[in-house]
Amino acid sequence: MLVFPSVFEPKMSQSKFGGMTVLLIAISLIIGLAAGYFIGGAGKVSESQYNQLQTSYNQLQTLYNQLQQNVSSLTRKLKAGFIYVGPVEDFGWTAAHDQARRYVEKIFPWLKTVYVESVPEAEAARYIERLVTEENVDVVFTTSFGFMDPTIEVAKKYPNKIFFHCSGFKRLPNSGTYFADFYQVYYLNGLMAGALTKSNKVGYVAAYPIPEVLRHINAFALGVKEANPEAKVYVKWLFAWYDPTHAREAAQALVSIGVDTIAFTEDSTAIVEFAQEQYRQGKTLYVFSHYSPMQDVGPDVVVSGQIVHWEVIYADILMKIRLGIYNNTNLANVDYLWLLKEGAVELGGKPGVPINPKFVNELKSKYLPGQSISVYDAVITRLALMKDANVPFDPFTGPIRDQAGNVKIPAGQRATIAQLFTEEMNWFLENIVGSPSG
Amino acid sequence: MEIRLERRPTVSRRINISVRILAILFSLPFIGLLFAAYGVNPVDAYLRIFTGGFGSPYGFSETIVKTLPIGLCAVGLTFAYKARVLNIGAEGQLIMGSIAATWVALYSGLPQSVITIIMLLAGFTIGALWALLPAVLKSELNINEVIVTLMMNYISLKLLDYAVTGPWRGLTQWGFPQTDPFPSYARFPVIGGTRIHYYTLALLLVSTLILYVLMKRTKIGYEIRIVGSNPEAAKYAGISVNRNILLVMLVSGGLAGIAGVGEAAGIHGRLIRGISPGYGYTAIIPAWLGGLDPLGTIVASFFISGLMVGSDAIQVSLRLPSSLVYVFNGVILLFIVSSEVLARYRILFKIGGRKIWI
Repeated sequence: MLVFPSVFEPKMSQSKFGGMTVLLIAISLIIGLAAGYFIGGAGKVSESQYNQLQTSYNQLQTLYNQLQQNVSSLTRKLKAGFIYVGPVEDFGWTAAHDQARRYVEKIFPWLKTVYVESVPEAEAARYIERLVTEENVDVVFTTSFGFMDPTIEVAKKYPNKIFFHCSGFKRLPNSGTYFADFYQVYYLNGLMAGALTKSNKVGYVAAYPIPEVLRHINAFALGVKEANPEAKVYVKWLFAWYDPTHAREAAQALVSIGVDTIAFTEDSTAIVEFAQEQYRQGKTLYVFSHYSPMQDVGPDVVVSGQIVHWEVIYADILMKIRLGIYNNTNLANVDYLWLLKEGAVELGGKPGVPINPKFVNELKSKYLPGQSISVYDAVITRLALMKDANVPFDPFTGPIRDQAGNVKIPAGQRATIAQLFTEEMNWFLENIVGSPSG
Repeated sequence: MEIRLERRPTVSRRINISVRILAILFSLPFIGLLFAAYGVNPVDAYLRIFTGGFGSPYGFSETIVKTLPIGLCAVGLTFAYKARVLNIGAEGQLIMGSIAATWVALYSGLPQSVITIIMLLAGFTIGALWALLPAVLKSELNINEVIVTLMMNYISLKLLDYAVTGPWRGLTQWGFPQTDPFPSYARFPVIGGTRIHYYTLALLLVSTLILYVLMKRTKIGYEIRIVGSNPEAAKYAGISVNRNILLVMLVSGGLAGIAGVGEAAGIHGRLIRGISPGYGYTAIIPAWLGGLDPLGTIVASFFISGLMVGSDAIQVSLRLPSSLVYVFNGVILLFIVSSEVLARYRILFKIGGRKIWI
């Protein structure tokens, strides 16, 4: 007489999933029938029958294990920890990540989050480890380039946990990378800047001479060049991500050499405020908001800008972790590089407003040189092309020359990921005045 | 009733220590109000800070990791401060030490077997040289060393920025501002399972002992104390004030330089921006807190490090904003620093004809 261990009953009653229940009932039926057959057959079971039965039992057991895993993944709670480099109230990088954190915590009832702010890069390892050991988080997001080595160090020490590092390039089976990039948006901003400048002098106040910032300045300058081949882009370096005082001084210095249009990479509203003050004094200084929506700070001067949507990436990663698609063994090649197409970035100085209505008419009246398309239409159509799933347009399409006249990207070719995102991005476009090494 | 401060006839070690412990105890209720305002039980917060910094093996080891740079800088500073040379430049000297170590590790081409010892020597030398300029300016031209050392911190920070964004930017780092990693033979070994790099630990302990003996038991220490307490008398006694200024600055700069080598080779294994989150400035506190005594300073460095390590535990587990943690550290330090006056003076209450001293 064979007795099947009753593996199903106790756990089944806990399951709340209709589809699952049907499946389990089907399986029980098969078992019941099989058992009934043999019991009905009364008495002896031949060896072959026994083996057959054993095999089908093993199959069922496997199926059951799989089902159980699925069920547990659906009822699973996740706890995610975030490590920030700045205070959550800054007006840029960290604030954007924290808004995304709050957003995913709100939309996912199964998610709990914790965060640590203002973590010095030199001490990050300790904070990351504390999140893992004391807060017992399942996944840690480290949101600064300087956290790369510490993230990898801690990830090696805790192979059962999942880590994601923002903006880096080192990965492990349990540690992936992600980034949302603006270069397409900067190009569109550049088109508008080139069209609006009357002095043919466009300014750019830049944080650090690293590939990310160089890529953005070049993309911006590509737009300026296309809309206005006469204009030059003047770059001033801050050597800081957040430095409102010097950002303002740099903007002032640019204005003093005749610049009337400014873009920047700096995590405060200093330059936008400066431009708005200029406006009140009757001077024109067009400006492009950076990272967070700043149009309300400079309603008369902000033309457009870039807004990030980290929540799109966080939601995708967390959902996939929960469903078991990502686990601590398969992240070595998981690298998010999300752009307009994925909705990770947006054009504009205010969500849902790609171009400040105040400037729309002016942009509609300016045409791309030698073409019958207005700058406004060019921005809108190219935005649509870059949002398209196949991305039929990319600003970094050759021929593109650097300051010395060397061809960096040959005619008809698109820049590769390496050309855009690694140390190969160490040059300035021909219409830029300034040094790409700071 | 009348209340007056009177200089204590003698300041014993017992008074020194008990006043500081009392200061810490008195600061707790004040900080407790802040915690309570954030809806956190103060006692719970204190316990977490204590266990976070000292009570768990992990916290303890991390406290030691932090004590290494802070302690090395602080012990060197006691030497300078004893001679009344107010070196505020440990931060810059530390950074220069890490720059020197990086050059040796990545660009010197020296044989593997000697690389760590050369890194340490180079770090000490460059740290000392960085302190030499303000020392010479003070001794020869009587230029205020506080200003010069402070300004030189900014110069070293900019040099660091220049190195990692310029010529030393790593070739394998995707253009990010940091050097390539040091080869494994140029990294300091750590005690298993922790981040304690024990070369630096050994150097910290040895240099503390040497400075202690030097200060208490030798003619050099005696001269330095005289120079610090009364330079005019020192001159009459035939002690060269200038030579002592140079000596204390060389030593304190050199030790800060070694701290920088430790951070580069022991913790990060490369040169990065922000290699020191202000260790050189933090070290000023334990130097005074330890009564300018190397042994006391080591204890104080350990305490301050533990506070910092422990307070990040409350940030993580109690969701307190990071600024509150800085307030917490600041209030404790303010109490300790201002309690100094009670170590040297006693309070006299005169009520009617009776006198009560505290």
